[in-house]
Amino acid sequence: MDLKIDPEELNACVQCGLCLPHCPTFRVTGDEAMSPRGRIKLMREVQDAGAPLTKEVLRSFDTCVQCRGCETACPSGVQYGHLMEATRETLAAKGKVTPRWQRAALMALNRPRMLRAGSAALAIANKFGLVPARLGLPANMPVRQAPLKTSGHDVYLFTGCVMDAWQRSIHAAAQRVVEAAGYGVEPTGALAPCCGALHMHAGLAKTTRKFARAMIASLPDRPILVDSAGCGAAMKDYGHLLGTPEAAAFSARVFDIQEWLAPNLARLPVSEPLDVRVAIQDPCHLRHVQQVHLATREALAPFVSELLELDDEGLCCGAGGAFSVLEPELAQDIRARKLTSIERVDPDYVASANPGCALHLASSGVPTIHPMELIDAAINNTPLPAK
Amino acid sequence: MTSFLDRIRAAAPIASRYGGSKFRKPTDALVADLEAALSPGQVRADGAQRALLSHDASLFDGGVAGPVCFPTTGEEVQAVVTVALRHNRAIVPRGAGTGLAGGAIPFGAPVVISLTRMNRILEVDVENRVAWVEPGVVNLDLTKHLKRIGFHFAPDPSSQQVCTIGGNVATNSGGPHCLAYGVTDAHVLAVEIVLASGEKAMLGSIGPQDEGLDLRGAFIGSEGTLGVATKVAVRLTKNPPAVKTLLLSFASVRAAANTVSAVIAAGIVPAAMEVMDQRITIAVENFVKAGYPVDAAAVLLAEVEGLADGVKIEAEQISAIGTQNGATEVRLAQSEAERELLWKGRKTAFGAVAQIKPDYYLHDTVVPRSALADVLEEIYKIADRHQLIVMNVFHAGDGNLHPLLLFDRRIEGELDRVHAAGAEIVEASLAAGGVLSGEHGIGIEKQDYMDRLFTSDDLDHQNRLRNAFDPSCRTNPGKVLPMAHSCADIQALRSVPAGVWG
Ligand SMILES: Cc1cc2nc3c(=O)[nH]c(=O)nc-3n(C[C@H](O)[C@H](O)[C@H](O)COP(=O)(O)OP(=O)(O)OC[C@H]3O[C@@H](n4cnc5c(N)ncnc54)[C@H](O)[C@@H]3O)c2cc1C
Ligand code: SF4
Ligand code: SF4
Repeated sequence: MDLKIDPEELNACVQCGLCLPHCPTFRVTGDEAMSPRGRIKLMREVQDAGAPLTKEVLRSFDTCVQCRGCETACPSGVQYGHLMEATRETLAAKGKVTPRWQRAALMALNRPRMLRAGSAALAIANKFGLVPARLGLPANMPVRQAPLKTSGHDVYLFTGCVMDAWQRSIHAAAQRVVEAAGYGVEPTGALAPCCGALHMHAGLAKTTRKFARAMIASLPDRPILVDSAGCGAAMKDYGHLLGTPEAAAFSARVFDIQEWLAPNLARLPVSEPLDVRVAIQDPCHLRHVQQVHLATREALAPFVSELLELDDEGLCCGAGGAFSVLEPELAQDIRARKLTSIERVDPDYVASANPGCALHLASSGVPTIHPMELIDAAINNTPLPAK
Repeated sequence: MTSFLDRIRAAAPIASRYGGSKFRKPTDALVADLEAALSPGQVRADGAQRALLSHDASLFDGGVAGPVCFPTTGEEVQAVVTVALRHNRAIVPRGAGTGLAGGAIPFGAPVVISLTRMNRILEVDVENRVAWVEPGVVNLDLTKHLKRIGFHFAPDPSSQQVCTIGGNVATNSGGPHCLAYGVTDAHVLAVEIVLASGEKAMLGSIGPQDEGLDLRGAFIGSEGTLGVATKVAVRLTKNPPAVKTLLLSFASVRAAANTVSAVIAAGIVPAAMEVMDQRITIAVENFVKAGYPVDAAAVLLAEVEGLADGVKIEAEQISAIGTQNGATEVRLAQSEAERELLWKGRKTAFGAVAQIKPDYYLHDTVVPRSALADVLEEIYKIADRHQLIVMNVFHAGDGNLHPLLLFDRRIEGELDRVHAAGAEIVEASLAAGGVLSGEHGIGIEKQDYMDRLFTSDDLDHQNRLRNAFDPSCRTNPGKVLPMAHSCADIQALRSVPAGVWG
C-alpha cells in the first residue's frame, strides 16, 4: 500500500541502528518494532514490498511518540518526522488510525469557549477527585482565570488552546517578563485558537493546514513568541507544511520564548538569582525539533543559583502531546527512566518549557516549573509555586 | 569464490541452498510452549516482528526468523533453549542487531533470542576491578555508569552507543581505543553461557589463575555458534588522569598515513589514531558540526592519555611529527565538550554516508602500517576505474582499513561494479601482505573467505570445537564456518524467501 512517503526520504535510512538508544519506546521495550529503524523498515515493507497492514504494523506506528529523538541522532539525516507524518496522514485518511472519538476531542481544541467550559467542568470534577489520575491533570486546575491584557504591539504572545485553558498563569508570567524587557505584548487569544500540532500528530494534516492558513492571516508582521515547545515546533513547520513563501515568512517570525529572550537578556532588570537548584528538562520539540534548547540555559542562568543537567541526552519523558493519555502504560515506563535521571541530580525544581511534559511529570510528583515563571519570580518577586 | 554480494543478488536461491523451501512457520505448539515457559508478553510470532528480526545492520536480505523471545533472566534463556530443543528448532541469539557481517541473521525460522531485556548491571566490584553485567547492557551505558566511580569499559566500537556487551563478546569487537587497550577479549574475565542442551556453564573465572583450557577465549568471537552468553564479567579500566585529543589536517591521504607510521616508529603508542578522508569528513561534519576541516584531503584524529606531563610531551611529539610529514594544521581539543564532539563525528561516520548514497558496502581488511599509503592509493584508483565513490575511514594505528563503497541498490548495474571493485580491493590488501581480518566478525559475510585464511585441517578443528559445545549444531547454524566444514547445520535449516507476514 502506498503510504505516500517520499521514496527518496524513505530510502535514506541505512539501518545502522545508531538511533535505537535515543528512542524512548525502544528503550523501555527492547523491541525492534518499537524502534525508529524498525518503524522505517515496516514502512518500506508496506510501501515498497506490498506487505499487509496488520495490527502489529499499526501498533508499531501507533506507539511512536513522535518525539523525533531519532532524527537528531541519525547521522544520515533521515527525516523521520516527515516519514511518520506522511504515514499517519495516509492511515488517518483510510480510517486506520485516530478513531472518531479522538477526532471529535481534537476538534474542540480550536473552539476556545467550548474548551474553557469543558475545562472548568473538568477542573471541578478534578477537585472532587472524579478524574482518573492517569489522565495526569494538574492538581490545582484553575476553575476561573483572569484574562490576559494587551500591553502593546511589539510582539505577539501565542496563547494557544489547552495551555490557555489550564495554565494561563504561565502566559501571564511570560508576558510580565517580556514587558520587563521593554516590549509591548499582545496575547493572541481568540486570534489564533490552536496551532494544530496534536492534529498533525494524529494524521489530520488537513486540519492543521486549515489552522495554519487562518493563523498566518490573523497574525501579520510581528515576532510571535511561543512558550509551549510543541506549539512553537508546529508553527515553525508551517513553511514546510504549506510550501508557500508567506508560510515560510510566517514561520521565520516564530520564536520559542527562551530563544527570543536569550539575546535580549541585557534589557531585563538586574536581580539577585533565586536560591534554587533547577534541573532542565528539554522538551523533545525544543531539543530535537526546534533545536534551540541551549537558549533555555542561557536565559535561565542569570536568575537561579544552580542549573543542573540531566544525564539522559534529552530522551523523551513520555508525554508526547496526547501520547500519555492514549498509551498510558508505555508513557509511564518512559517517564520512570526520566524520574531516575531527575533523582540523580535531586533538584528543587525541574524547568520544562512545554506544558505537556510539565503536566506529565507533575502528575508523578515532580516539582515542575516553566522557565518563564522562574525568571518572573526573580525579577518581579512573584512567589514561586510550592515545591 | 562466492562473495557476500553474490549472495545478496541471489538471496532467494541461497535460502533454498539451505535445505529446500518448506516454510517453517512457527507452529502453534512451539509458540504455546514458549509462552508457557516465559509469559505471553515475552514471545512474539507475528509476521512484522519476524520480518524485522530477519535483519541486522548488514545488507544481507535472506533471513527468516521464527518466534522471537525476550527472556529477562538466564533461567528464562535456559527455558527457551529447552523448548526449542524439544521442537527441534535452532536458536539465534541477538543483541542490538548492529552486526555488519550478518551474524544475527536467522536461517530456517529459528527461535530468535533477543537479549535486549537482559540489561541490568548486576554488580560492580571496584576493589577487584570487575563488573558482572547481563548481555543486553549497552556498551556506552556501562561506561557511563562506571564514569561516576572513575572507570570505563575499554572496548569502544563506533557503534558503542547502541551495541550490547553480549554482541561485543560474540564478535570480539574492537574500537578506536583498542589500539592501546586491546580488543574485547582482553577485557572479559568470565562468561556464563547457556549451551544448546539448555545447560548452564561458566567459562573463565574472575580469580587470578584460570585452570585448564581457555574456554572463555574460545567463546569470545564465536558469534553465537557456541551458546548464548547470559552473564559477563568485564574488566574495569581506570579513566586516565589526563587526555589530549589532536586533530591534524593534511593535503593528502598519503601524508596522513605516513604520519601514523612515523608516530608508531617513534615509539609512541597513542590511545587512538583514526584517519578520515575528505569525503567522509564532509559528511560527518555536516552531521556533528564539530569544526572538522572540510577542505583537508585527510584528517588524523589522535588521542594520548596518561599522566598529565607525559601526555603533554606525547601530544607535542605527535604534533611535530605531523608537521614534519606535511600537516597543514594541528588543532588541540580545548574542552571535554569539543573532544566528545570530535569523537561523535568519528563514531557516526558509517551512518553519515547515507547523506550521499543510500547503500554502502564496507570492507574490513588489515594491512601492514608501512603499506597503508600505497594500498589506499590503489583503493582510490580501483574505485575510479569502476566509477564508484569510495570513502575511507580507518583505525590507522593498527592498519585496519574500512573502505566504504557507496551505491544505490535501485540503480541497475551499480551493485555489480561495487562487487568487482570490492574483490580488487581485497586482492590489493592481500597482495600488500595484509589479512582479511575482521573486527566485524565473519558471520555470513566472510564465511566463504575462510578457506583462503585457514587450511582444511584448521577448519575441521574449528568445527570439532563447535561440536563439543553444540553437538547437534542448533545455535546460530549456517554461520562462520563454510558450509563444507560445518557439521549438521544444513539439517537444522529450512527456509523460504521472506516478504510476507504471517
Ligand atoms: C555504525 C556501526 C559502527 C560499527 N563499528 C564497529 C567497530 O568500530 N568495531 C567493531 O568491532 N564493530 C563495529 N560495528 C559492528 C557491530 O556493532 C559489533 O559487531 C557489535 O559488537 C555487535 O553488537 P550487537 O549487540 O549489535 O550484536 P548483534 O548484531 O545483535 O549480534 C552480533 C553477533 O553476536 C551474536 N550475539 C549477540 N548477543 C549474543 C549473546 N548474548 N550470546 C551469544 N551470541 C550473541 C549474534 O548471534 C551475532 O552473531 C559497527 C556497526 C555499525 C552499524
Ligand atoms: S534512521 Fe538513521 S540512525 Fe536510524 S537506522 Fe536509519 S540511518 Fe541509522
Ligand atoms: S519519534 Fe521518538 S518514539 Fe518515534 S521512532 Fe523516533 S525516537 Fe522513537
